[in-house]
Parts: sequence; C-alpha cells; structure tokens
Amino acid sequence: MIVGEQKPISEIKEIIAPYKKILILGCGTCVKTCFAGGEDEVAVLASALRLACKKDGKEIEIEEFTVERQCEDEFIREGAPAISRNEGVLSLACGAGVQALARRFVKIPILPGVNTTFIGVLEKQGVFTEECSGCGDCMLAIFGGICPFTRCAKKLLNGPCGGSQNGKCEVNPETDCAWQLIIERLKILGQMDNLRAYVPPKNWQTGLSGGPRKLVREDHII
Amino acid sequence: MNMKASGKLQEILSKGEFAVTAECGPPRGANSEIVRKKGELLKGYVDAVNVTDNQTAIVRMSSIAACTHLLQMGLEPVMQMVTRDRNRIALQSDIMGAYSLGITNILCLSGDHQSFGSQPDALNVFDIDSMNLIRTVQTMREQGKDMSGFELKGPPAMFIGAAANPFADPFEYRVIRLAKKIDAGADFIQTQCIYNIDRFKEWIKMAREEGLTEKVHILGGVTPLKSAGMAKFMNNKVAGMDVPESLIKRIAGVPKEEAVKEGLKICQETIAQLREIKGVHGIHIMAIEWEEIVGEIVEEAGLLPRP
Amino acid sequence: MTENFKPKITLFHCINAFDEAAELSLTDMDNCEMQTVKMACSSMVKDVFLLKAFEAGADGVVVLVCPESQCRYVEGNIRAKKRVAWVQNLLDEIGLDRRRLALGNMAAGDKAAAAQIINDVLKNLAELGPNPAV
Repeated sequence: MIVGEQKPISEIKEIIAPYKKILILGCGTCVKTCFAGGEDEVAVLASALRLACKKDGKEIEIEEFTVERQCEDEFIREGAPAISRNEGVLSLACGAGVQALARRFVKIPILPGVNTTFIGVLEKQGVFTEECSGCGDCMLAIFGGICPFTRCAKKLLNGPCGGSQNGKCEVNPETDCAWQLIIERLKILGQMDNLRAYVPPKNWQTGLSGGPRKLVREDHII
Repeated sequence: MNMKASGKLQEILSKGEFAVTAECGPPRGANSEIVRKKGELLKGYVDAVNVTDNQTAIVRMSSIAACTHLLQMGLEPVMQMVTRDRNRIALQSDIMGAYSLGITNILCLSGDHQSFGSQPDALNVFDIDSMNLIRTVQTMREQGKDMSGFELKGPPAMFIGAAANPFADPFEYRVIRLAKKIDAGADFIQTQCIYNIDRFKEWIKMAREEGLTEKVHILGGVTPLKSAGMAKFMNNKVAGMDVPESLIKRIAGVPKEEAVKEGLKICQETIAQLREIKGVHGIHIMAIEWEEIVGEIVEEAGLLPRP
Repeated sequence: MTENFKPKITLFHCINAFDEAAELSLTDMDNCEMQTVKMACSSMVKDVFLLKAFEAGADGVVVLVCPESQCRYVEGNIRAKKRVAWVQNLLDEIGLDRRRLALGNMAAGDKAAAAQIINDVLKNLAELGPNPAV
C-alpha cells in the first residue's frame, strides 16, 4: 500500500490560511490503514484545526468528509457536493488522490495535508516499512524476494557494501541490511548461486527516469 | 585486443614485486598547492597515489583535477571514482577524460553514503554500482566500447582496481564478492584498513583456496593509529571497521605521548605480517591527513628505494 | 493567572478505577466545574474525544486509568497512555499546552490518588488560565 504521514499542524495552518471555509477530505484506502488520512484522522485534524484557529482568533468553518478512494473518479464523485460548497479542500489522501481531485475540480484549490512517503508493508501494528520503489522491472525473483534497489541505501545490485555490520545498514543501524536478508533467504532457498552471477546495470527507463509512466489496458477500454 | 594500461603500479605488480600505494585526500577548496604539497611528501616513497573522490561524502576538489596535479609532478595517481554522485553518462565521460589527461589507474567504488557527509540533503545517484563500474571500465579497455556498445575512438585502457572489506558482514559472502569483482574485471584490490590480522588471514586463505589470489593483486590497507581514542572511534563509529580490543588496550596502555609511536609500531608489525602472507602483493597506506608520515613508514619497513 | 477563573475539567475514567460518585477532596473543589465521562475501559478514550472535550469548553482534561499491568482488558490503560501522549503533542502544536491534559494511574477506589492527579492539573490550569480556544 501507499504509506503517508500527516503534515505538521503548523504547516497545515499555513496551507489553509487563505481560506475561511474548507473541507477536509479523507480517503478510506491506503492512508486510512497507515493512520494518516482515514475518517478518524479527518476528525482529529478537524478538531485540532478548529482549536488552533480559535486560539489564534481566526474564523474558519471546517467540514469533514471521507470517500472510499480518492484516486478513482467513481469514488471522488461522492464528495462532489461537499467539495463544491467549500473554498478549498485539504486532502488527506496520497499525492495521487490529491491530483485526482485537482484534475476533477479545477476551480477549487486542492491542498495536501499528507506527505506521501513510500510503497510499503505493515510490518506490525503501527510500523510501516518501505519495500518497493515501483521501478517497473521487478527482479525480486533473483533476490530471494527482497528488493535491493529499495531496501539498500546504495541501491546495490551486487552488494552488500563494506558497511554492513551485524546485519544492519551503516546508514541507519535500525535498518536491516537488505543484502544480509537476501543472502539469508537465498541460503534457505538453496539459491546461493544467484549471488555469484554478475547483475548488469539496471535499465531505469521503466522507472521514473523514463518520465511519468502510463499503463493502458486496451481490453478494458470501450 | 588486450590494451592494458602501462603504468608503474601495473608494471611492479605484474613483475611480482611488492607494491606500495598511499592515499591523498584533495582539499576542500581550489588550492592546487595543497595537493602538490601532499604529493611532495609522497614522492619517491610510493609507486602510486590514490586520490579520493569526495571521500566520506564531503565536497572536495575533484579527483580528476587532483590526479592531474600529481601527474604534473611526476607522480602516478590512482583515480578513485564513486558511483554515488554521477550517473553512467557522467562516469564514462569522466573515465575517458581522465585517461586523456594521462591517468591510467582507477579504483572503482560505490562511495560512502551521503548521509555521512557535509550534504546529507543531496540526491544520491547510484545509477550503477561499483561492480558495474568495474565491468564498464573493463569493457572500454578490452572491447573498446562504452556501455551502449558504441565503438570508442581511442578507448581508455585503465588498470582497474576495486575495494574489498574482509571485515564487513556477512563474512561468508566477502570472498564471493571478491570473486565477482575479479570476474567483472578488477586487476588489483585495495582492502579496508587491517587491524584484525587473524580475520584478514582467514579471508585471504579462503580467497587462495578459490584461486583468487592468482587472478588479482591484493594490496593490504593500513592506517597508523594515533591514539586509543582514534582506535575506539574507528571500531565503534566507522562501519565495517574491526579494531580488536587487544589493540585498543595496547595503545591505551602506553603514556599518551607514546601513543603515536605505539601506533606506528603496530602499523609496522602489520606490514611485516602482510609481507609474509601468500597472496598479498602490496600495501596501501591510508594515513588520513597525515601524509608526512608515509615516507617514514615505508622507510622503516625497509621498502625503499621504490623502483 | 486570570481573576475569578473557575476551571472546567472533563474527567474521563475507567469504571474499574474510579467511581464518579466518590467525593474527592480537591484543593479548590468549589472553584472548579467537573464533567465526567465513564468508560468500560480506559482504552475507549480516543484522541478525537479528548480534543472534542477541549472544543466543548474544557480548560483541562484528566484521564483516570487503572495501574499498569492491572487492566481488566490487559493493555487498555497502556493504549490510553499512548493516546494521551499523542494528543499532548497535538496540544503543544496547536498552542494549547500539553499540561492541560493528564493521565493518572490509580488503584480502584483510591480517592486520594484521584484527587492528587486532578489537583496537579488544577495547579497547571491556575498558571495557564482558561482554554484559549473557547
């Protein structure tokens, strides 16, 4: 899923400063799971902003609404009435949701309330880790299901580097060395030979280096 | 086509003689005098001088430029090149540029992560890794082509070095990685600073068993310790560094003013042991910001005169 | 401190720790308005409820929970503690001051402990004054 984190209140206050009537629009998919922008977070942020504005003597009307998914027009539609009656929309969706809204409601400022951080997994309750960078050319088959582009700080394809110690990454001792994990997993799988093979330079064209990507499924288009 | 470069370092190593290299860090500024001064201190004592490439991710004079200053003084540089800051286009271009200036040795590295340096807010590149860089330089030399397969007019024929850290984890993979670097095209290896000589011996034994020491020239890295504090710092704060407790105790056990002397003594003992180890073809002295000591170390070790 | 300030306190409590009928000996009982919200377990206290209490006019909010490791639902009071800490940070960010909100552990029926926890918040409120967001 997409993982994100709510922006600090101080930054949100600045972003919404020009408006007197705003809608905080949540998204019930990824950002709900990571406690950044679901219905609950919308309620907390709305309450916190009302308190903050009142304390500062600023008048503001805050409406709350959450749609199932902000990156799909079909779901955005449900928010249309609320969106149209406000001066601005503070979206608690990921960057894709914010842009999907902006595309549909061109005359209303759509403002981000969340910093979208990564594609990750729920490691355990309340802990999310980055696992995929969406490179468009998945090589997990040879790396034992652990992605070195994403999880090695140096994106090493033929790693590990000399800074791996006690299974931890030199950049952050809290982070597991991806290469240590790869080696352990390949050992279990009996695929250590994968490590002996030279991995050629990655073709980044399938990633963001090739410009914004688009996926077209002709069979689903009428 | 086997257009190997022909520098002094390559000549010495291929003759089977014991090589001595040292490290020279370019200044944080554009003053070429500083490079020349460091060069002066090393001249006559070493076969080649490694010039670091923005080491520890701190912005410095470029390795190519500093190498060129040394060349002009008659020293042979080993240009270090990291994949952290440049993509494959810039890397290949700089390799050709460097060779055109007379630089014939390269050490291919991934580079320290920028979060340790002066600009942790920088974007890192890591378009390719050190292994890919080694192969790239080799392909230029052996096939005369760049990474795209384009036939180069006057391909660079660099003598190719790579790094190895026998002390990093996972230990069992260290020799596999060395083998990969050799397969990729490494002609010589310069290792991380050696303090734990037992572990180093274990590593090189494994390398010997795989026949790797026949295929590549290994230069053992040494860095003289100046104090117990430095020893502790290296052990605890520098990732992939292994300073045994006994060494820390030994240097802590002498009076403060004797610590430097003790550190140099340890360094000499290490060099003496390295010369005895089968498969070690030289030493690489990394006296960080202490280039003036290099001459003394080499002389004391009885490695003078240099050929 | 503001003259004639009669602080309003919203008290969230676990029914296993505190009985709302209990008479507390507060330092300034007459000079404080108390509203209580009872919960089957303190884990029911959510961040938004705490904030809404401030929105509704509370000058301070107190959460009374069972002693750690004595929660009937194992970790309800730990959850409450973490949420209170989260909201305390929010209060600082908003500029309301974290000291308006407190959580206290108390053994079942320990009135003196409850009074102590509330008194501490009243002391803070005497310094902080009324809720500036009302």
